Amino acid sequence: MGHFKNMDYKKKKKYNRDRSKQCGRREFLKGTAKAAAIGSTAMVFGCGNGLFGSKDKFALQWKEYFKKNYRLMTQEEKDETVQRLELLAKVKRDADIQMSSKEPIEGVLFGYAFNVTRCEGFMECVAACVKENNLDRKAHTQYIRIFEMEPGEMTPESGNGQYFHEVPVENHFYMGVQCFHCQNAPCVRACPTKATWIEPDGIVVVDYDWCIGCRYCMAACPYYGRRFNWNEPHVPLREMTKKQHYLGNRMRTRGQMEKCTFCVQRSRQGRLPACVEACPTGARVFGNLLDPKSEIRFVLKHKKVFRLKEALGTDPKFWYFID
Amino acid sequence: MKKRKNIKYLLWMMPAVFLFISVWSAHSGMNEVKQIIENAGTPFDDVKSIEAVLLLPVNTVLVKEKYQGGLFHAETRKDKIERFQCSRCHNHKEVMGERSAEIAHGDIALVHGGKEKPLSCFTCHKKDERDFLVTENGIKVDMDHSYQLCGKCHFRQEKDWVGGAHGKRVSFWAGKRVVKNCTSCHDPHSPLFQKQWPKTYSRPLQK
Repeated sequence: MGHFKNMDYKKKKKYNRDRSKQCGRREFLKGTAKAAAIGSTAMVFGCGNGLFGSKDKFALQWKEYFKKNYRLMTQEEKDETVQRLELLAKVKRDADIQMSSKEPIEGVLFGYAFNVTRCEGFMECVAACVKENNLDRKAHTQYIRIFEMEPGEMTPESGNGQYFHEVPVENHFYMGVQCFHCQNAPCVRACPTKATWIEPDGIVVVDYDWCIGCRYCMAACPYYGRRFNWNEPHVPLREMTKKQHYLGNRMRTRGQMEKCTFCVQRSRQGRLPACVEACPTGARVFGNLLDPKSEIRFVLKHKKVFRLKEALGTDPKFWYFID
Repeated sequence: MKKRKNIKYLLWMMPAVFLFISVWSAHSGMNEVKQIIENAGTPFDDVKSIEAVLLLPVNTVLVKEKYQGGLFHAETRKDKIERFQCSRCHNHKEVMGERSAEIAHGDIALVHGGKEKPLSCFTCHKKDERDFLVTENGIKVDMDHSYQLCGKCHFRQEKDWVGGAHGKRVSFWAGKRVVKNCTSCHDPHSPLFQKQWPKTYSRPLQK
């Protein structure tokens, strides 16, 4: 028995060397399957963390693996899960995070407008987004993309995102794309595990732990709004945003899909998303679509607005407008 | 004989099918964002809905204009001007001292107004009361309410600013509306944004 145990441990160790110390549902299940074949004692090593330091941590991780889909949790379960994740972050990464599971606010439907005339391509929003949402610094993941466009061009597919000169340039305009939070989202219907859905306040979110990484949603999205973690995301501890949301900027692991959430951790507290706050030219307008006195409603009422690929019927809540 | 019966049956079915399709399409249209927006008419109650009490950021003034939701606030200007109050030097006596103008205001480069009609200091600043601005009609304008002056030429931008399509809110989308003042973003002496290098780069869309 001991021999088997040792062998398994060595194998695991090698396997884990280039995978850092994270472990997801998938690895665990793999581990348990193996363990069942070899013997129940090997189960302890199932998680890839090698020997567990304490019983408590094991208990925490055990509970974490068998948690429910976020939508099926009761409020107590959500609170418990969030607390557990805080503890685990402390144990695993020595990070003091505060995680919330704040529910959507009633009477709110978030909408976003982007002023094509005002954007000057400084890309402050992109940098702010990367920082706020704990995006993978190694793989250069970004939710927002800004393209330098020729006049008259309206397809960001052909836009140039790699302009290495001072901006703005004469006779060009700048167009930002990100997740448009469609009201009739094709990505949601593509998901085989129901890991992604539209919240009542209109934000399309992902339950990272229920994502199996099939990338069907990525293929279904006509706006290229979703990002996949091909590797373990790397975020330096001192740069990590500590105020997190379960559906928002909490740390993802390898093989999980992620996307813009209108900074759910901020917007549900009444704050503006990081990109809106960072924009130096005021090209970004964010607000409650159900509120007739909001700015976004003013823009929709008084400005020339359009949406991308409207013919697809995806019904995005992201409008472009011109002055 | 049987065939004809079938056709008759189909013809009878046609209206029912049409009715079904029309009802279904009308129903599916109800969930569209456009429809949702049109149906929503009740103002959002910030105080009731948002738990965290949204305090006014410090240094704001009540704007003397109304937007679609009532009164709103703007960031102040006076506390950000290094040498305010101006009347400490510019009082009823003339400012003495060699090169004092250059020492005090040498950093100002006036790039405002067209080439045919460039602005001078006293297009905006009140000559006999230096703590204030003045419009072309001679109306005194407080520096914190500079939008009243800017809006005299840039009236379209002012209209957008009051409504919310120009400029931006400070920190919160909910709570009391606090927006950036004209001078929070634009240097009044050269209001155009400076060219600068982009912070990062974007990958092509289909990748």
